[in-house]
Amino acid sequence: MSIHNDSEFKAALERLAPDRQRQVAARFARRVADLSQDVRVKTAIEAASRGGVSEAELEVLHQAANSARVESFTRCGMEADWSDQTGHFVAKAAMACVRPTAAAGNLAWDTAMHARMARTCQTITEGTGTGNRETEAQYRLLEDFLNQGVRT
Amino acid sequence: MNASLDKGVRVLKEMIDAPIASYFASCVHCGLCAEACLFYTETGDPKYTPIHKLAPMRRLYEQEYTLLGRLKKWLGISPPVTDSELGAWQELVYNSCTLCGRCSAVCPVGNDIVYMVRKFREGMAVAGHAPAGVIEATRRTIDLGSPMGVKLHAVKAQMKHVEEETGIAVPLDVEGAEYMVQLSSMEIINFPEYLSAVARIMQQAGKTWTLCSTGFEATNAGIQIGVSDLARTIVMRIVEGAERLKVKTVISPECGHAYTAIRWEGPNLIGRPFTFRVQHIVEVLDEFRAQGLLKTQGMETDRLTFHDPCQLARRGGVIEPQRNLMRMVAKHFVELPEAGLMNWCCGGGGGVSANEEADALRLTAFKRKQSQLEAVHPDRLVTACAVCRTTIEEGLEHYQMKLPVIGLTELIAAHLTAPAAGGPEGG
Amino acid sequence: MTDIQLLTWARGQGLDLAVAAFLFAVFWRLIEIYSLGRKQDLAAPRLVAGASGWHTVLRRSLPPAGMLKRSPVSYFGGYLFHLGLAMVVLLFAPHIKLIESLTGVSWPGLPSQFIDLATVVTLAALVVVLVDRMTKPVKRYLSTSGDWLAWLVTFLPVLTGWLAVRHLLLPYPTMLTVHILSAELLLVMLPFTKLFHAFTTFGSRWYNGTVNGHKGVAI
Repeated sequence: MSIHNDSEFKAALERLAPDRQRQVAARFARRVADLSQDVRVKTAIEAASRGGVSEAELEVLHQAANSARVESFTRCGMEADWSDQTGHFVAKAAMACVRPTAAAGNLAWDTAMHARMARTCQTITEGTGTGNRETEAQYRLLEDFLNQGVRT
Repeated sequence: MNASLDKGVRVLKEMIDAPIASYFASCVHCGLCAEACLFYTETGDPKYTPIHKLAPMRRLYEQEYTLLGRLKKWLGISPPVTDSELGAWQELVYNSCTLCGRCSAVCPVGNDIVYMVRKFREGMAVAGHAPAGVIEATRRTIDLGSPMGVKLHAVKAQMKHVEEETGIAVPLDVEGAEYMVQLSSMEIINFPEYLSAVARIMQQAGKTWTLCSTGFEATNAGIQIGVSDLARTIVMRIVEGAERLKVKTVISPECGHAYTAIRWEGPNLIGRPFTFRVQHIVEVLDEFRAQGLLKTQGMETDRLTFHDPCQLARRGGVIEPQRNLMRMVAKHFVELPEAGLMNWCCGGGGGVSANEEADALRLTAFKRKQSQLEAVHPDRLVTACAVCRTTIEEGLEHYQMKLPVIGLTELIAAHLTAPAAGGPEGG
Repeated sequence: MTDIQLLTWARGQGLDLAVAAFLFAVFWRLIEIYSLGRKQDLAAPRLVAGASGWHTVLRRSLPPAGMLKRSPVSYFGGYLFHLGLAMVVLLFAPHIKLIESLTGVSWPGLPSQFIDLATVVTLAALVVVLVDRMTKPVKRYLSTSGDWLAWLVTFLPVLTGWLAVRHLLLPYPTMLTVHILSAELLLVMLPFTKLFHAFTTFGSRWYNGTVNGHKGVAI
């Protein structure tokens, strides 16, 4: 199957079972993982990629990623640091992919959204503006993932 | 006397009016203001007593405007205000005060202490005794259009993000729209879900709205540090935008001081009444609710409580609307003790959260908010100010308290019924 | 000057001087304060019932939510000595006679046993608030010589009046002289100390209530 727009993207993700969502979410997050220096964030993304994570572990990873998120808040009135902001959204993406199953929702969609914001913050930091190809890359990623699933 | 001190003293003298004179004359040193101030209650240090934060201003007032004060100055009994004294007061005026206004609500003789602190900051800033990091905000506002250096391209990035997420196009510079939506930098940077929520709500309510490319910034650092010129510049951009686009209402976002700045100080800063209405997003949502334009489904079933941002509730007069909205979507809405008018400050407003030197004090003061929350043990906390949100989350993190915090607009939007028009949202 | 001569002076010329000084000083201080004026508020008001300067003038006499338990002595001690002072000054027959001689207006007083009780309670309350001021960290930190002085010039007339009525300590004419002189001292000092809050509290509460009432906040 091929994805052309966000409606299709979101619907396809929603149809996936939570563990499958987590796997594809991890792929979205991995694309932006290097934009964060925080070890808690990287650990969460790696764990989600590995799969087979217990609920207890998810809880711990989620908490750790949350700390990273809170620590990277902007201070109101201070100059916006876009590279800090990039890290903030990677942390949010990481949190989404290790969200405990009970509160899962459409965690893959949320991860994708946060990853796109992280990419946008990165391009703002680099001065190349707000346009980027993250969205298209995510569509291709999902297509590959779904096709793999069909084959196995 | 150096040049800055001179200017600062001159500004302070201009700030003094009949209310301030009346307040200084009435103070009986009862100390009740301290019992209302979280910076005193959580530290036990009497120097944080609100009226004490104004001591130099009081002496200046007496020496300038009272016979007895002038006599005491002439006799050498009352020393003049010095630069080092103002320097020593910087911590009291900026680190240990969020302009929350609880002191003004309890003074038995009726003193409006926060009114005085706000004016004292004007003199302090001109005299060069305001926190360095936030003073920089003045430069950024003039040069870059935003105290936080958030330029239009960042707003456009968020617009694109929101369009992808919701499938709704975010209007920009649309003349004749009914509502002009302001954004605080905090929302643009940390909480893009706010704009998504607004887009979906406006669509359901069937209202026309727009962002303004020249006046999108709601954050008003000028109000926080006490530089009226800066505050005026920011407000003027919004006013020019609103008048150019001929909108009926300007919506102030989920931020506290931004609302105070535009709704209550705005017309006084620019010297004329506004030709448009100003409402906080919470007021707008409640109005939609009352008009039957807000259709929601389902209820949150966990235990929710609400933190009233000081500048919205006690200082802004918006107290009931948030409660009406909470009851729409929360099955178990519990009130914090002393909620509403007398709510305790999160400790981050008025420039405190942007002031690194105040971090330790702010986290200590947060214990007050923590005890309020522990009295009610909610599952989640809802609020309507981005700075309250980040301040509370940082405080919770510091004290290892597990409690998710969400925004009210987001919460309402999550319960909107699906759009009536059929067909998938465009991509 | 003999005791009686001093008493006569205190009741006569002394009283005239003190009252004149008091009235002049009050007038002067009120002008000094309120002539500074204030700017008009150009923001569109939010009209809410119960939110106005006048409401705050009355409402602020009650402790706001949560405050009573934080400082019960401030509130109870404060209410007791203020009400006690008012009762003793305005409802004691000899005082009413004095006011009548000055203004022509009079009203019924309370029986002297009640006034005696009110006086004792007022004295006790004043002592309690003094001890509170000396021992509580915030009050102690804020207190200046002006606070101790204000307490003393308020306490003395009540104490000396009570001693005079009960014919204690000094011979009655002398005690009475001391009482009258202490009251005259209070009159003269009131406008130049924090005791002037007797007049400015109403203005302060009104301004606070008005500024907040403009925003629809019933503070």
